[in-house]
Amino acid sequence: MRRALVYAAALLLALVFLYPFWWMVVSSFRTQSAILSAPLRLLPETLDLAAWRSIARLGGTDLAVYVFNSLAITALSTLLAIATTGFGAYALCRNPRLPLFALVRYGFLLSIMFPYMLLLIPLYFVTYKLGLLGSYAGIVLVLSLVPLVFFLFVQFFRSIPRELLEAARVDGASETQVLLRIVLPLARPVVLTATLIAFLLNWKQWFPVLVLSASPDTYTLPVALLALNSEYGINFQSTMALATLTTLPVVVLFILTQRRVLDGFLAGAVKG
Amino acid sequence: MAEPAALASPGRPVILTLPRATWRGALRQAWRDRVLYLFLLPFALLTALFGIWPIIESIVIAFTTSATALSDAPEYAGLRNFRTVLADPVFADSLWRTLLYTVVSVVLNVGLALAIALLLTNKLLTHGRTLLKLAIFLPVVTPDVASFITWKWMVNTDFGAVNAVLLSLGLPPFAGITRPFSAFATLLAVETWHHVGLYALVFMTNLQLLDPALTEAAQIDGASRWQRFRHVVLPQLRPALTINAVYALIQFLKTFTVVVVITKGGPNFSTNFLSYYAYTKFEVAQYGEATAMATILFAMVFVLAAAAMWLGEQGDHR
Repeated sequence: MRRALVYAAALLLALVFLYPFWWMVVSSFRTQSAILSAPLRLLPETLDLAAWRSIARLGGTDLAVYVFNSLAITALSTLLAIATTGFGAYALCRNPRLPLFALVRYGFLLSIMFPYMLLLIPLYFVTYKLGLLGSYAGIVLVLSLVPLVFFLFVQFFRSIPRELLEAARVDGASETQVLLRIVLPLARPVVLTATLIAFLLNWKQWFPVLVLSASPDTYTLPVALLALNSEYGINFQSTMALATLTTLPVVVLFILTQRRVLDGFLAGAVKG
Repeated sequence: MAEPAALASPGRPVILTLPRATWRGALRQAWRDRVLYLFLLPFALLTALFGIWPIIESIVIAFTTSATALSDAPEYAGLRNFRTVLADPVFADSLWRTLLYTVVSVVLNVGLALAIALLLTNKLLTHGRTLLKLAIFLPVVTPDVASFITWKWMVNTDFGAVNAVLLSLGLPPFAGITRPFSAFATLLAVETWHHVGLYALVFMTNLQLLDPALTEAAQIDGASRWQRFRHVVLPQLRPALTINAVYALIQFLKTFTVVVVITKGGPNFSTNFLSYYAYTKFEVAQYGEATAMATILFAMVFVLAAAAMWLGEQGDHR
């Protein structure tokens, strides 16, 4: 009896968390009148592709452009985040007492405490002054600071025994050799985890992209979706089709790499 | 979930000056490890340009008139922007609403996450545990714009799934985002759906680290199920409770995306939270007021988060 209760609760929970995804996908293949008459139908009557055809061009721009922007901006900002944050966090952990290092560390911590949504308002001014407003470069640079990646790296680098690195220095290895020959091989798993997490997080970013864009030409999928959502008299099925397209890549990526992603989020969370 | 570990150590003083005697040694060290500066440089540059500069910019703009904020010669306005903001009844409303929303969200999320974690670690649940864990975490990695839009239609009063379910169960329909109170509740529910998986994951990890000997001892001593949970399990969950409460606090004080996507602050300002209100000021070029609000919210996040951390640490030392 108790067992039945536990399973009933588990089933209800799974339903609440998974059903919206199902509804999103199914609704993109149904006609408006069909949804109005039977909102809860689990399978589409017929595969109606009208919504999918309607999103081929959005706001005067081809869907392919948004897809390309999403892939390019997410991939580039992820690579940049891993490289800059990886080296930076390593330096900060290797010798935290060097002059100015504390300044960088606390500066970073302070900047992530500022409400992110509100940091974007002044960031708009900063990118304007740097001449980066409306450019890919501006968006990629802003997205390349990912707090969780920093904490993952710091946690890992702190776990490497100091003696190991100092011994190599005493044996005559340069600091660069220590990094390349000893630390980098050890760091492979954390680099992989951090890359995955940065990709997942940057894929869903929308506000920096919206604020720093001058036109839809640099919009990513979530921003295009938001723009479609704000239109008057929008076609509900089209938003569901675009939402499906925006969600699918990260869901697949997450399911393929679940262990690593869960551990990464957990490590990043517990670190704080 | 963009910045979960935002508070590694707030309140600790920044140590910038070194005692005079060690200056020479420090410089020698710096020269020996000069390549480390090279490693740090790109990260330091990014932090300075896109982290520190905008904060300074924000605070400076808060003290200039909106009309001249973007010009080459900004006009100093003293505390005028802050006075305007503090005298604005909509701001006061929005501040209280944000605090109410935050408190309710934190309690709801932490409570629900604990319940989910207890269910998922229940010994009677022998099958489907991994699947369930994936299901509750899926919303965390899903682009929030996409899932919020889906929910916006799910609570649609004409053909949304929520009302269809309620009606089929013979329950009264839910007004969704057409009424102030239900709009507020909608955002609360949707955001909980989106975030609770992460908090549940933290609780689950903590639950797996419990000392079984303590529970057994309590059982032998005849403690009831509730007594065991209250006096044996709960105290051991303090680390997860602290982490989750602090994250949830930071998360929900900043509530923004869900408002933009689902309600746009309405109806009748019932979901006009601080971040969103500041953003609407920015959109109509009231930069001074917008950044003054940002500065106030920043101070609040800082103080509340530091206080929560401090309380958590106090508990640890007991």
